[in-house]
Amino acid sequence: MDVWVRKSVARSLSVPLAAAGVLGLGVAACDLSVTNPGPVQDDFLNNPAAHAAVVNGMGRDLGQALNYISLTTASVTREVHPAGSQGAFGILLPMQQGLLPFDHSQTSSHWNMAQRARWVSEAGIRRLHEALGPAAFEASPLVAQAYLWAGYANRLLGENMCQAVIDGGPAEPHAVYFERADSNFTRAAALAQALGLGTVRTAALAGRASTRAYLGAWSAAGSDAAAVPTDFVYEIPYFVIDTDQYNRVYWSSANQPFRAHTTWNTVYASYYRVTEDPRTAWDENPDVPVGDANVLDLGRVPWYFQLKHADRESPINLSSGREMRLIEAEALLRDGQWQQAMQVVNALRTSVGMAPWDAADLTEAWTRLKRERGIELWLEGRRLGDLRRWQEGGTPGALHPLEEPGGASNLHADRALCFPIPLSERETNPNIPING
Amino acid sequence: MRSLVGWMVASLLGLAMVSFALAQDVAAAAQEATVESAARPGISILELPARLVVDNTPLPRALNALQKRSGVALAFSPSLLPKHHPVSCECEQLTVAQALDRILSGTAFRYLELGRQVLIEPIPHGRRAGAMLASATVLPFEASEESAARAAAAVLRESAPVSLTGTISGRVVEARTQRPLSGSQVSITGTGIGALAGSDGRFQLQNVPSGPVTVRAQMIGFAAAERSVTVTAGGITTVDFQLVEQALALDEVVVTGTAGQARRREVGNTIGQINMAQVAQPVVNVDNLLQARVAGLSVMRSSGMAGSGGQIRLRGNVSVAMSNQPLVYVDGVRIRSDGYPRNVSPAGHQGRSNNDVASPLNDINPADIERVEVIKGAAATTLYGTEAAAGVIQIFTKRGATGAAVWSAQVDQGLSKLRPFAPSDAPFLYLDPWLKTAHTQGYAISVSGGSGDLQYFVSGGYDDNEGVLPNDWEKKYLLRGNFGFSPSSTLRFQWNSSYTNNTISNTPAGNNSHGLMLNAFRRDANFFGDGSVETISQVLDYEIYNYIDRVITGATVDFNPIPRQTNRVTVGYDLAMSQMRQLRPFGFALAPEGILSTIRWSNATLTADYAGSYDLGLTRDLSSRFSWGGQAVSTEEISVAGYAEDFPGPGVPTLTSGARTLSFEDRIRVVNAGLFFQNLLSFRDRYFLTAGFRIDGNSAFGEDFGLQLYPKVSASYVVSDESFWREPWGQLKLRAAYGQSGRAPGAFDAVRTWNPLGWGGQPAFGPGNVGNANLGPERTAELEFGFDAALLDGRVTVDFTRYHQKTSEALFAVRQIPSLGFGSSQLENVGELENRGIEISATAALFDVQNWGLDVGLNVSTNHSKVLSLGGAPPFSLGSFGWIVEGHPVPVIRGRRITNPQEKADPIVENEHFYGPNQPSRIIGPRATLRLPGNVMLTARGEHQAGHYVYEAGSFNSLVRGVVWPTCTNAYRLLEAGQEDQLTALERSRCITANVAQDWFIYPADFFRLREATLSVPVGALVPRTDRATLVLSARDFWTWKNADFPIMDPEVGSNEGMNAQVRQIGEHIPPPAVFTASLRVSF
Repeated sequence: MDVWVRKSVARSLSVPLAAAGVLGLGVAACDLSVTNPGPVQDDFLNNPAAHAAVVNGMGRDLGQALNYISLTTASVTREVHPAGSQGAFGILLPMQQGLLPFDHSQTSSHWNMAQRARWVSEAGIRRLHEALGPAAFEASPLVAQAYLWAGYANRLLGENMCQAVIDGGPAEPHAVYFERADSNFTRAAALAQALGLGTVRTAALAGRASTRAYLGAWSAAGSDAAAVPTDFVYEIPYFVIDTDQYNRVYWSSANQPFRAHTTWNTVYASYYRVTEDPRTAWDENPDVPVGDANVLDLGRVPWYFQLKHADRESPINLSSGREMRLIEAEALLRDGQWQQAMQVVNALRTSVGMAPWDAADLTEAWTRLKRERGIELWLEGRRLGDLRRWQEGGTPGALHPLEEPGGASNLHADRALCFPIPLSERETNPNIPING
Repeated sequence: MRSLVGWMVASLLGLAMVSFALAQDVAAAAQEATVESAARPGISILELPARLVVDNTPLPRALNALQKRSGVALAFSPSLLPKHHPVSCECEQLTVAQALDRILSGTAFRYLELGRQVLIEPIPHGRRAGAMLASATVLPFEASEESAARAAAAVLRESAPVSLTGTISGRVVEARTQRPLSGSQVSITGTGIGALAGSDGRFQLQNVPSGPVTVRAQMIGFAAAERSVTVTAGGITTVDFQLVEQALALDEVVVTGTAGQARRREVGNTIGQINMAQVAQPVVNVDNLLQARVAGLSVMRSSGMAGSGGQIRLRGNVSVAMSNQPLVYVDGVRIRSDGYPRNVSPAGHQGRSNNDVASPLNDINPADIERVEVIKGAAATTLYGTEAAAGVIQIFTKRGATGAAVWSAQVDQGLSKLRPFAPSDAPFLYLDPWLKTAHTQGYAISVSGGSGDLQYFVSGGYDDNEGVLPNDWEKKYLLRGNFGFSPSSTLRFQWNSSYTNNTISNTPAGNNSHGLMLNAFRRDANFFGDGSVETISQVLDYEIYNYIDRVITGATVDFNPIPRQTNRVTVGYDLAMSQMRQLRPFGFALAPEGILSTIRWSNATLTADYAGSYDLGLTRDLSSRFSWGGQAVSTEEISVAGYAEDFPGPGVPTLTSGARTLSFEDRIRVVNAGLFFQNLLSFRDRYFLTAGFRIDGNSAFGEDFGLQLYPKVSASYVVSDESFWREPWGQLKLRAAYGQSGRAPGAFDAVRTWNPLGWGGQPAFGPGNVGNANLGPERTAELEFGFDAALLDGRVTVDFTRYHQKTSEALFAVRQIPSLGFGSSQLENVGELENRGIEISATAALFDVQNWGLDVGLNVSTNHSKVLSLGGAPPFSLGSFGWIVEGHPVPVIRGRRITNPQEKADPIVENEHFYGPNQPSRIIGPRATLRLPGNVMLTARGEHQAGHYVYEAGSFNSLVRGVVWPTCTNAYRLLEAGQEDQLTALERSRCITANVAQDWFIYPADFFRLREATLSVPVGALVPRTDRATLVLSARDFWTWKNADFPIMDPEVGSNEGMNAQVRQIGEHIPPPAVFTASLRVSF
């Protein structure tokens, strides 16, 4: 290389190298970290000031899961009959027929929401324990509330899911949820007792009573129920801030414009027409007499809209003293004391102006109790669990034909009584076989 | 700590490099003082050392080599030089003047020193080469004395009587068709005098110094032409030009995907180009401009409503989780390319909307566009870095040229009319009472020119487009100012700005029970339970407006103080603002208390870009261009929304009128920054090898993720410049390119987050993102190769490319285990995708006889995508039957299929059938131009898209609700007659409500659409004294063929998500209507 070329190369390289150096400096000094407002990083939730929102989040997730499950199971159990829409606020075709296929997206979404409610509350309790330390943890009213939400979240799963899966583990009997619910309610009650949180304590006892009933521990269930006054109500609230928080039972049949379900062709339609029991109130609108779309092969069906949930913000009961009385009545039935059980049932009825039921024997008393429990807990997301445990337990007494598959109910012969482990869990959880 | 150490290391490295460079600069400057002094005033650049050795080299390449080796700018037109005139020159120790003397010897060319450049021009007629010595304005070929050159130049300057001037006027037309070339640049070489031709091709140059001058006419896509004329003082000299279209335009400069700029011959990848001068039809927006003009580029409309934006794909989908909309630049400034948000209430049902979105590209006035460059994949987009895997589209707007002001005006008047899209007994799906023939109109005016160092282009426009539905219209005001300033020959400023104000009013549409479509399609089975026009028309009280303000501004500085070295800095800002307002007033039938929402959304993109290059002659035949640069792009998207419901009474409410109000806010900012380095080696100006890389950082990368390196290498070979190549064989360039690019994850994807949520007035947290500290961009590597050829004297051209893209570390939304709480998916770099295909763009002049001619063209592209690996993740759905499954397209439409559709029997169902891709796998675009006497031209252009499948939701949504539907007319007749056994399996599945499932409405979406037929008539041919006006009559989208298995709706209709849909499905929308336009263009 001659002198000129060498000089030329040196000079040629100098300019780009200089520019590269400046660019290098520029990029090195360029801070690419950006803080965006909005979503909150996980660590921030350890701050005690954030704990109230952490616990409220547990309640919110529970409310959302219960919201969706209440509407879907209302159709599957024929608390309502489908009347139209299948879209965003409607009832999809399988659920209109009473089916809950494991590979249906709706089954997955319900499972996912219920599991999220459980995990958020249980993981939140662990977070509070770690962040607060043992002493402050035991002294925190928020912790008591968190245990209460964890109890109800597990109860929701236990009542509605066929099997239990905990934190990516294998499939277990659904009673596992109830056992976890029992444990959480027990902790909630104890903390509430120590902290003087009366409502939380009573709600925990009421939740535990219903849980123990499912576990077959009727004596313990009765003891807890007895501690709950008849006029006690513990409910989950709903709000208009987003559609997931609208009371779906109301909104899906609110003619806005969906008229997705009806009390037509349910036991509650005729019952209310005869008795006007305020607990199963519904109405009709001569200007809009039918649902908003054809249903199954029935064409348009009459639109009798429920009145229990009157608007988007109507709460749904999680526990009530009236439910406790029915647990006591059922405990009596299981003990063979059907006359005493009927007294309890009829006391509830007369308190709302209804005529008492008659029962000639234990079987009839069971029939009455099953009907009364349906009336009392109507559209609260509890019926599916009741039907399953009564079926699994082989309890005497009959359901109304409009609640049973076949015939006029338009329910499929394979009507489901619980949500199977859905595809969303099967395809992601290595401990669950896809087709198991 | 890690980042701090990195910062320090980089800083030290940077300082060391700067110090080294400065030291080298000082030393080199001292040693080369003599070279530098030559460029000083008073010393001729012809005296600089030539440093040239060429042997048997074509003349144009020899001049290029001289230019590079000496650093002296040579101005010449390669197309005018004799290509097969080899020259030799052992001029290593000679001056530039001496070298020029030798290599121009025996040619009909001479050279002149003009300012800081040397002009090579033809010797005027009547002066043979040997006579040049006698001319006072021509330098001697054999001048051995340096003073002779200086003296000659002095004589040249003195020979122009500057006090006396004249005028040159004329016309620029395309040589073959005689079509006026509006916007062509005409200039006097060596002076600042120039002008743009008007729409009739006419130009006028004033104040031209009398005496001999060279007039040059040039335009993109055409070979420049020069004419030498003598201007007489006070006289008018007429010069007409006929520019010849360049078949391959190998010396045309392109900038997209290159570092700075490059000639086409140097580029190893294909570059699609749309030259507005060659677009005959009236273009209504950029979507319309891009449609069916570039092989491998597809534009799919979302609906036929006013303002609807189109989904753009280049070579299909390269990403599953991120946007596949290409990056878009305007004059070097990054702008938003993803659609505007959908105008939907922040609370309440998400279907309450017009359910369509506008495209930010359509805020650009097509009348302002000069050309568009398209690079289609990672092989070409490496230098754009992390966000460019889906390709890059760069729009160049017009600039002014020195000379008298040229005004252009255009008036468009048109009608749009919906074409049938359903079976003949209900061709408009019962929308007839609401449809109308709509009026469209557009007005545009611009002026361009310049004086001295300042050039300008200023334009304004107004579009008023009615839709065919009620309450459906778009009114758009457009302004632009492009200003150039060149205070010296080494410094140029360019400042381009545009402002668009667009108001779009839409009908409530799509899958919206408060909208027109669902209620009209379903008639008495609608949400009112009443199919009367009066009842359904109540939804028209629903007002949906989108007020768009758009500012795009960018400044570019070109600073080239050192010969062979260039610097370009661009700073740009794009602010897209949209105020989306929708009102269901008090008393609205389906929400009687009323609902109002207002969303103020903005997206600001700030671009800072630097590119530099240095040309270096290494040996006689080998030269190098080293380029470097950096880019930082900051994008900030802000949305502030309010919602109100339950108004106290009638009247026009505000958000504060509602009994219940809610507010919402989102802010997301992402920063991407990177450096690139590239070197181009050129051997004999026909072998080119380019290698480079880019290093990128992005604020959305996970904290455990570092900078990203994207390499590139490309080569091109101009075979037809070889000595063995015969002229009749035409031109041929071979090319190949390999490169990598990326696509960054979203702002929050790497971080585990919780969403702050209200819960009845109390704060609450809900699970947000699972988080992944190792999250990085997906990386697309692409190999493409092909050739550009011109045959039969340029009458046939072919551009062929084969490409293969592989996206590794593809971002998949991996579903999480629901029982672990975070039910949402998490982006993970786990997948592997590929895209393969070919692209052919061919043109042919079939005949060309006097005033008659017929040109035809064909674009063909294929795209075959495949999921190579899911990285262990299970197959997952993207919705609308779009699935990501190993071994299948991205995405594949998967669902149940009836295997005996036409059999009169119960359906036999195949589960999990893989139908095919959702994006077209074949696109064929034929076009033809018929030239008639009087320069009347008839052009037609069509587009065939095929091989893809879509789910059509409109039929399902109706039939599952028992709505009587026109595709089932025959089935209803048979059912009524009790002949159910005569129903086909398909009819039994689609027409009996209990059997209806979504799967039965997956259609093959093949179609052919006649995109345009345009008649262009120079008004002068019909009306005397109107030769500066052109009348254009155009019909667009007025004929469509669909696959026979596509029974209803239209393949170019989208769903509620509009152009932003990840998987295309067909919803309750109208297709794009046919538009008939008359356009008058005038220049003066």
